[in-house]
Parts: sequence; C-alpha cells; structure tokens
Amino acid sequence: MRLARIAWAFLRSAVQHELAYRADFFGNVVRSLLGTGTAFGGLMVVFSHTESLGDWNFPQMLGLLGVFYVVQGVMAVFMSPSLNKTVEEVREGTFDYILVKPVPSQFIASTRRFVLWHVTDVALGVAIIVIAAGRLEDKVTLMDVLVFLAMIFTALSIVYAMWLSLTTLVFWWVRMENVTMIFNVFYETGRYPVEIFPFWLRQALTFIFPVAFITTVPARAITGREASWLTWIAPIVAIVVVLAASKFWRIGLSRYSSASS
Amino acid sequence: MRHILVGFAAFTRSELANLFQYRVMMFLYALWDVVNPIIYLIVWSLVAGERQISGFSRDDFIMYYLVFMVVSHLALAIEVYTFGPLIERGQLSPRLLRPIHPWWHAAAVNISYKVVNLIMLIPVWIGLFLVLRPAFPGDWITVALFLPALAAAIVLSFFIGSLFAMLAFWTTRSFSFWQIWTSLLFLMGGQVAPVAVLPGFVRDVAVALPARYALGFPVEVILGQLDAGELVMGFAMQAGWIALAALAFAFVWRSGIKRYSAVGA
Repeated sequence: MRLARIAWAFLRSAVQHELAYRADFFGNVVRSLLGTGTAFGGLMVVFSHTESLGDWNFPQMLGLLGVFYVVQGVMAVFMSPSLNKTVEEVREGTFDYILVKPVPSQFIASTRRFVLWHVTDVALGVAIIVIAAGRLEDKVTLMDVLVFLAMIFTALSIVYAMWLSLTTLVFWWVRMENVTMIFNVFYETGRYPVEIFPFWLRQALTFIFPVAFITTVPARAITGREASWLTWIAPIVAIVVVLAASKFWRIGLSRYSSASS
Repeated sequence: MRHILVGFAAFTRSELANLFQYRVMMFLYALWDVVNPIIYLIVWSLVAGERQISGFSRDDFIMYYLVFMVVSHLALAIEVYTFGPLIERGQLSPRLLRPIHPWWHAAAVNISYKVVNLIMLIPVWIGLFLVLRPAFPGDWITVALFLPALAAAIVLSFFIGSLFAMLAFWTTRSFSFWQIWTSLLFLMGGQVAPVAVLPGFVRDVAVALPARYALGFPVEVILGQLDAGELVMGFAMQAGWIALAALAFAFVWRSGIKRYSAVGA
C-alpha cells in the first residue's frame, strides 16, 4: 500500500513535468504517427506480393504490429526511463541515495521515472489492434480478449524481467549506458511472428531473447489463432523470469561499491 | 589544400583512437544494421519461395540483403547524432576557431565510426555469407560499377545527414525531421524491399526521390539486374542529387552559421 502511494507520487510528478513541456507533446504525437505509419507501409509492401506470411494474413499481421507498439509504449513509459536512470546512477555513484531510502531498492529503481508521452504509442497500438480485429475473418470472442489480456500481462512481466536483468549487469560492467539500445535491436524482430524465422533463430527468440512471448503469443490470442503450447507455458515463464530477475538484482546489488571506493 | 589533408588526417587519427575505446558500445549500435536486413532477408525469402517476385528469386533476395547490410552500414549518416548536438549545446564555437572547416572534422568522425565498426562487422558479414552461400547473380562489371555507386551513396548520404543535422540551427526538433528521412529510407530507399519490388506507383516515386540513391542503388547495381538505361539513369540521378545536396549544404551552412553567431549559443 505504501509502495503504491510512492509510485503514485512518482507518476504525479511525471505528469507535472510533462505538462511543463506541452509543445513537445504534439511533436511526439507526430513522431509516433510517423513510426506506426511507416511500419504499416512496410506491411503493405510485403503484402502486395503475398496473401500470407508464414500463414499469418494481413489483419493478423496488423494485430501483431499493434501488440508490438503497445508493448513498446508501455516499456518506454514505465520501464526504460527508470532503469536507464539507475544505470546512470550506479555509474556515477549517486545510487547511494537510493540505497539509504527505506523502500526496497528494486522497487524504487524501477518506478521512479516515467516518460508519459510514449502513451501515444500505446494508444496507436490499441487502435491498430481494434482495426485489425474488425477485419478478421472470425469474430473476436470475449474469451479471446480475456486470453489476450492475460498474455499481454505475461508479456509485460517478461519484458520487465529482461529490463531489470539487463540493468543489473551494470553492477559488473559499469559502462552500460545503452541498455535501451541492446534491447531495442532485438525487439525489432518482434514485428514479425516468430514462426517465420528459421529453426535456430526461432529457438533463440523463444528461449534466449523471448520476444516470442512478448509479441507473437499475445497477437495469436487476439487474432483468433489457435493457442500454441507457448500460450500455456507463458504465465509460468513469466513468474520464473520475474523471480529470477529479482534474485539477480539482489546478487548484483551486493557488488555495488559506490563510486569512491 | 595541403593543410586540409593534414588536418583531416589528424582528425581521423584522433577520432579513431577516441572511438576505439568504445568499440563494444559502437558494435551494439552497428548491430542495427545487421539485424534489420536479416529480418527482411527472411521475410522476402519466405514470400518468394520458389517463385520470382519482380525479377527477384529467393537467392537474389538473400544476396540483396547481405550486400544491403554492408552498404547500409557504410552509407550510414550519423551527423544528426554527432554534429547536431554540437550546435544545440554551443560546442561548435571552439571548432569554428580552428583554421579548418568544422565539416572536415565531422567527415573524419563519420569515417572513423565506420572503420572502427568494420573490425567487428567484417567477421559477422563473412560468417553470414558463408552460412547462407547465395548464388551471386552479378559479374565483374557489376562489381566494378558497384564501387562508384557505393562511393556516391556514401557522399550523398553524408550531405543529406548533414543537412538534417544543421536544422539544429533553427529548431530543437531536428530529430523529428530526421525521422522523416529514416522513414523514407525504410520505405523507398530499398530497406523494406528492393525498389524494383515496390508496388507500381510507389516504385515510380522511389526512383525519383534521393533515398534510393543514398542507400539501395549500389546494391541493385552489384546484383546486375539493371539494364544499361537504368544504370545510366541511376548514376545520373546520384550525381544530380549530390549536386543539389551539396548546393543546399553550402547554402544552409552559410545561413545557419549566421544564426548561430547571432544567438550566441
């Protein structure tokens, strides 16, 4: 309860910060539109030569694209800003101030900064999903939506665990300025269903950098495709990786030696 | 002229030494140029299957994207990230005092960035070629034509990247404008698909716009799928866009630098 209040305070301060730069908001909306528009154009080009991509048809691919942007937006609002800030502070030694606060360090390291304008990506992603769902051959059932929401939740948990783990590496390698970038490079593969990739790559994208659980699995649910076995193990994977990431954070933390020592 | 060469060489040496410290980080940046072409290599070889798409077989797509990977790295414009911030933060001032044009330094940074990355990228490229072993559809003539096309793409890309970087003289939002250019490169520069594969009217637009000449054109040249007329036209377009971009570059720099001193930032 106390943690929720603290997170709420962080969120409020983020809103106030953002409101101070209202003019930026418009520019950011334009950028988001340009990004999704470009991706949409890319899909159109590919589908001008084919009816389906690895048995995903156009509306289904559109649904996948929507999921891609929803997850990317949530990440950019709630995860990467805080964790990038943490990387910076560990490098500079100012992480001391976090440690002395009477709140679990992992909580504060992952919640204290939000960059709200990326909600435009989430909104656009949702809009794309709705449009895609309307163009599917089969109607989306309530059950589909429920499974989809559960899968989005597991996807976000997995993404969080990955972010936290990447951030934790800073305790070993101090120069980790660009965790965001490492993540984003591989996240790009999530624009396409994991099934289209050749065997070894598919395994890597399922079990090493589990982008399959992040975009493909939720997209399968909302586009009325049959649930694969990945859908059933997704919640278990999510719980395991979140616990593991949290443990890893504590191990890393014990190596923190501030800047002067 | 001689002092420019000496200065340029000195800049390149110092930038190489400087960037070499960050080679791992830079390699991660360079991974962008590897991962993206691989995605589209896979997408198009899946779409092509056994058939031909606008003259591209599965093997052609594989070859296209492998060469594209190399070209997209070599013809990458980084000036929005390296030069733009200098203007925004007022760090351009000391460079203006040097007896050599600041853009020589920027060009040295550009070249050094790519050279340092090559150390790690060349093994990756060779590895991918060996794994995929696509049949090479070109011949020694297309290889010979590839080199000037590549050089022209690098120069054009540098000028255009610089133009966007110099928008920082007027606006703090130069990144938004830059995104328009990267979108154009993606859709019409040969990234999402070879220009020949783009649907009808989009292809016609792409052939006229500069994006193709700053990125995809050299790849099309080496694959040997352009006939003599298209080749001549392509090189002429490259030359034309370079001339135009160079003119714009000179003009924008001159008016931008006046603003810079006026603001005193």
